[in-house]
Amino acid sequence: MKKIFTRTLYIAICISVVVACKPKLETPSADKGSLDLTTYVAIGNSITAGYADNALYRKGQENSYAKLLAEQFQLAGGGTFKIPYIDPNSVGIGSSGNARYALTTITDACQGTYLTPQPVAGSGDATIFASVYAAQGPFNSFGVPGAKSFHVPFAGYGNTANGAGNYNPFFTRMAADPVASSMLTDALARNPTFFSLFIGNNDVLLYALSGGAQDAITPTGTFNASIDGIINALVGVSPQGVIANVPDITSLPYFTTIPYNGLVIDATTAANLNALHSGSDATFHAGANGFLIADASATGGKRNAVEGEFILLTTPQNSIKCAGLGSATPMATQYVLTATEADAIKTATDAYNTKLKAVADLKGLAFVDANAFLKSAITGLTFDGIDVSTAFVSGGAFSLDGVHLTPLGNALLANEFIRSINAQYGSGIPLVDVTKYHGVIFP
Amino acid sequence: MKKLLIILIFLSPFLAQAQGFQVNLQGQKQQSMGGTGTGVALDEASVFFNPGAVSHLEKNGVSLGISPTIANSTFESSSSQTQNRTNSPVSTPFTGYAVFGREESKFKFGLGVYTPFGSTIKWEDGWAGRFQLTKLQLFSVFIQPTVSYKISDKIGIGAGFVYGIGKIDLRRDLPIVDGNGNYSSAKLTGNASGIGFNAGIYLKPIEKLSIGITYRSQVNMKVNNGNAEFTVPGSLSSSFPSGPFTSSLPLPQVISIGVGVTPIEKLLITADVNFIGWSAYKELAFDYENNTSSLQDTKSVRNYKDTYAFRLGGQYSVKENLRVRAGIAYQLTPVQDGYVTPEVPDANKISYTAGIGYKFADKLTVDASFTFEDYAKRTDTNKESNFSGSYKTYIAIPGISLTYNF
Repeated sequence: MKKIFTRTLYIAICISVVVACKPKLETPSADKGSLDLTTYVAIGNSITAGYADNALYRKGQENSYAKLLAEQFQLAGGGTFKIPYIDPNSVGIGSSGNARYALTTITDACQGTYLTPQPVAGSGDATIFASVYAAQGPFNSFGVPGAKSFHVPFAGYGNTANGAGNYNPFFTRMAADPVASSMLTDALARNPTFFSLFIGNNDVLLYALSGGAQDAITPTGTFNASIDGIINALVGVSPQGVIANVPDITSLPYFTTIPYNGLVIDATTAANLNALHSGSDATFHAGANGFLIADASATGGKRNAVEGEFILLTTPQNSIKCAGLGSATPMATQYVLTATEADAIKTATDAYNTKLKAVADLKGLAFVDANAFLKSAITGLTFDGIDVSTAFVSGGAFSLDGVHLTPLGNALLANEFIRSINAQYGSGIPLVDVTKYHGVIFP
Repeated sequence: MKKLLIILIFLSPFLAQAQGFQVNLQGQKQQSMGGTGTGVALDEASVFFNPGAVSHLEKNGVSLGISPTIANSTFESSSSQTQNRTNSPVSTPFTGYAVFGREESKFKFGLGVYTPFGSTIKWEDGWAGRFQLTKLQLFSVFIQPTVSYKISDKIGIGAGFVYGIGKIDLRRDLPIVDGNGNYSSAKLTGNASGIGFNAGIYLKPIEKLSIGITYRSQVNMKVNNGNAEFTVPGSLSSSFPSGPFTSSLPLPQVISIGVGVTPIEKLLITADVNFIGWSAYKELAFDYENNTSSLQDTKSVRNYKDTYAFRLGGQYSVKENLRVRAGIAYQLTPVQDGYVTPEVPDANKISYTAGIGYKFADKLTVDASFTFEDYAKRTDTNKESNFSGSYKTYIAIPGISLTYNF
């Protein structure tokens, strides 16, 4: 009897260990539907390149939405995806020759001790501009920081002989032939079976980043013609692809972090400022005031910022807090996107997006409404227990330049692409596991 | 950063076996018989199952038992389709019962010391739900002194006072990384306590039939001086100060009705229905003593609903000293759609049970049981975290007890 008892217990323990260990759930296999993902090329700008923290550097490249997309594609028959990688130890380089930013604790007389983005080195790493095509090419990622719509078909976009400002060193380093290649010709040379096109941000952004002080908005006619040219050429080789539209850039933290009416003062300070600026359009009162900004058309050449205007992230915050910038002295025009400038940007963005949607529909391509997605994130979204918003640093989605994405932001964007692709092509490509991707790094 | 700290869901620990009362690891005989036991005077475990039946126990006795619980859950993300598993250690709920009374007295006194909830759920490292939970360890003990009075051979009543103590340890990752790519984490530990009671009536109108009705009150477990400990990058340490917190959780009232039938001499058939008042669990709130803009008090909606469990069991006397038992139970989940969380990946479940009892000597009995619980696959998107996927859980519970009668 003792034997029976022992045996029963033994069986019980066996069942416990063997059966109970692994409850099974059936995983549907990644279904590619009608997709042919053998050769995927991604065409775009800095976002496609994985530019982040105000520089192109390795970690950013490795977490670009295009790279993440390609990884998911590989679950459904996708091939290798080659990126013109930078050395992992490089500090990277940004559009003004700077190194990448990192959140840094600094102490100064004005603000005490606080966290702020700082370049990790005195200057960027210009050695990355040397061609890596022979060593690493041909590539699948044609994300070129600074590229506008009309740069995509621009032959010789990487040609240093064009002279400064007339070529793009970020393309030089990856072009098959910097003298003759365009982003488009190099992409077509890969004989893609699937493409993504995410272009147009810089057509308004570069103007906006400078507060309208530099660059210009690409005319709609130029934009439309560029898009038609690009899409017709691409579809001729690869009838399958995805197009993303242009997000409303004034929703980016670069424009929203400093509120236009962030000047909060008491009655005495208001009276002093009113005396100081008498004879101009600027007036002040106790409470929140529009910052004092320079405006040549205003009486006295200065006025208060009004709703619908944006103070840029580049505005020196110590000067605001401790040196009277925006109160005693007006903020210069390169720190302010005025209502007029913002309206021009909105008009152009709307026109671009109308065109992009029409082209996607006409060619039967998947379409990502990146603009709607960005807007939905303004008030905050929650993914797998991670709260995400467009807030600077704490929002998690945007990197330290306030324009480009963190790895987490890239993962979320990649998932928007996958949703659109699955909807258009009847596929079941799994989404990226966003919990594997982080936001801003804290020291 | 305000919401970075997110809803610390911690207390659900007490729910780690959501239908905790209903898992019924409170007596090996009862456990073998689908968790029935309200309507019969089987043994000392009646202190838990029906204090009214204690007065009808034939002998005094002391019983000690343990039920190693091996729980395994698998999660599959609806979005990325990646699967994660738990690798929880075996938890060991135990029971100790004593019943004594003079033969001529109508009173019997009982003491129960048992583990109504006691388990650890630990998900594999880096799993997709880590910002909700990485590990939850719970240990609790209820101490229940009991008095039972035999009004007649046909009726007995009894009641016990319940003092519950508990210990919890909850860990989760926070979606904040440092320069080395390490995620931040929160660890909440604390002791909880609460009081309640357990009362029952036992009826034996005819020889072949017995009936029991019990009421176990709600026990509000309170954590008054917990310790919240945060591991975050240095630059954020002042935003996430470690320090005390308070919280509480209602363990629900349970109303049970059970019967025992003896159609032939060697066979006992039992059946129970439990009503569990989980609707008391509306929300889970945490009050941190040191609030910052990043560390706010949280309130997390739980919205549990009242639920039922149905149980059927049987015992057959093979020989004078050998009994075999089997049973089955169906338990409905209190967790509504939209509220499933990784610390309670709950679902409707079927329990299959079996067991054996052997009397080695006149005074010494060994009972063993085996329970296998099969949770239905549950697919849900949590309304708070938007964490979406399917859960599947198996629990295997071998158990054994030693009883000394005198």
